[in-house]
Amino acid sequence: MPTLTLKFKDKPIGDYHLQKGLSLTIGRRKNNGVVIDNLAVSGHHAKIDSVGDGFVLIDLQSKNGSFVNEQIINSHWLKHGDVINIGKHSLVFKYAEDEPMPDDSSDKIEKTMVMDTSQYRTMVEKSKPDIPKPLIRQNDEGATGGLAFLAGGNGNIKLTRNITRIGKHPESDIIIKGLWVGKTALTISKRPDGFYLSYVGGISKPKVNDKTINRATILNDLDIIDIGPTKLQFHELNPDKTRFLKIKKHIKTPAAEAR
Amino acid sequence: MIVIESAGITDIGKKRQGNEDALFLNDALGLYVVADGMGGHRAGEIASQLVVDTISKYIRQSANNGDAAPNFNPDKSLSREANILRAGIYLSNRVVHEASLENEDCRGMGSTVSAVYFTQGTLIAANVGDSPIYLIRDGQIKLLSKLHTVLAEQQALNPAHAKELGMEFRHVLTRAMGTEDSVKVDIYEIQCFKDDILVISSDGLSDKALPEEILTLVNQNGLKTACQRLVKLANDRGGDDNVTAIVLKVKMVKNARLSLDRMLTTAKRFCCRLFASKRT
Repeated sequence: MPTLTLKFKDKPIGDYHLQKGLSLTIGRRKNNGVVIDNLAVSGHHAKIDSVGDGFVLIDLQSKNGSFVNEQIINSHWLKHGDVINIGKHSLVFKYAEDEPMPDDSSDKIEKTMVMDTSQYRTMVEKSKPDIPKPLIRQNDEGATGGLAFLAGGNGNIKLTRNITRIGKHPESDIIIKGLWVGKTALTISKRPDGFYLSYVGGISKPKVNDKTINRATILNDLDIIDIGPTKLQFHELNPDKTRFLKIKKHIKTPAAEAR
Repeated sequence: MIVIESAGITDIGKKRQGNEDALFLNDALGLYVVADGMGGHRAGEIASQLVVDTISKYIRQSANNGDAAPNFNPDKSLSREANILRAGIYLSNRVVHEASLENEDCRGMGSTVSAVYFTQGTLIAANVGDSPIYLIRDGQIKLLSKLHTVLAEQQALNPAHAKELGMEFRHVLTRAMGTEDSVKVDIYEIQCFKDDILVISSDGLSDKALPEEILTLVNQNGLKTACQRLVKLANDRGGDDNVTAIVLKVKMVKNARLSLDRMLTTAKRFCCRLFASKRT
């Protein structure tokens, strides 16, 4: 069976043998399997459970956390040579030389797997933080954008499509006027990190905050888009951001002056 | 019209017994697909191959049929081509799901899918699972797909909690192809430009290489060598999983509606005629 070697600053202090079917607790209190007398270590800091052929290190919600190979962990399947760090002490997990190690492929979590949806929901539910903060699911519909006409048109347009085409062409999603404006002058498309404006065609190129766009640019909240005689303002319609926006609007004039 | 050059390879890696990744690339069709299968024995291979085959067949058919409407009720917020790709993904999800129900050995198999489909002037990126699609433009690399893993979704919801979850959850998917009878796809459609580069890979690469490293490798090499270097990089760092990479480059974008070109040619023609008439 594998051994744990307790070390302090690379000096070995003691060896502990792990046994199949038994748990080993690690902590500051005397009733632990491995006692580490240090204030950085919680009373019951972590434990190692025997599961199947392998061993799992589980952090017992310790104050300073448990680390394996310098990564903070909640639970971790121990492999030969893993170094557990608890406070300033370290524990090295090693199998004996002639001992068969559990098959690595049995370590399912390393492989890609799909979580059962119901299982996932309960897990998310369970792992809610202690702070009573509602976990709002950020659905795709929530984070959208909108355009408001400042000139060359009226009203607001919500960007509901994945790609919104703007131009002179009668089939465009937003039809604008202007002699030099292209049939499809520009498109606005949704991407994982926000909305992007791309120039497509026409002599008149779009400008975002007075900067001419030759290819594509990300749109930020309240950016002003110029295309021919048309002026549009981009708004982020994110539930979180809208609140923020209102505050911003109140202080808009002094802030703009300061800039 | 868009002209694309592409290269793609898949490699078993260093630790696995079989290759559960599958890929499809066709420059004429403008379709590129990577699928990363999962499930015991050979089921993962079957799932990913089914996904790739079904999507490519469906897209080819739709491209030949011209204006024939997609089978599934279309999403009005998407363009026609995006709806076709979406329908292809839905179809392959159903195919994999049915196969997993029919065959005892394949029960519970699934796959990720990441597909890029080019239209007249845009590119459509769609994905289910954690195979990333990167867009390299203006010297920057950006993710053009959503990662459907517990870790990534928690990060969006509650970053503090995601840190507690630990790295083991980065491989746990929240959705996949074939595990249920319906699936939700994330689709993005963006304008494409000359010299845009896209990298579609399986998590065997993205686990081992940072986006910036991929960017440097792709910038310094030709498409084919870039693919080989990417796979080599992943294998040099352990090769724990199968590695697949497609690298494609947009060589030319010809916009039929580009009025500047048209105006210049009309002006030229007009001048020619003017001169010609003066001479006579």
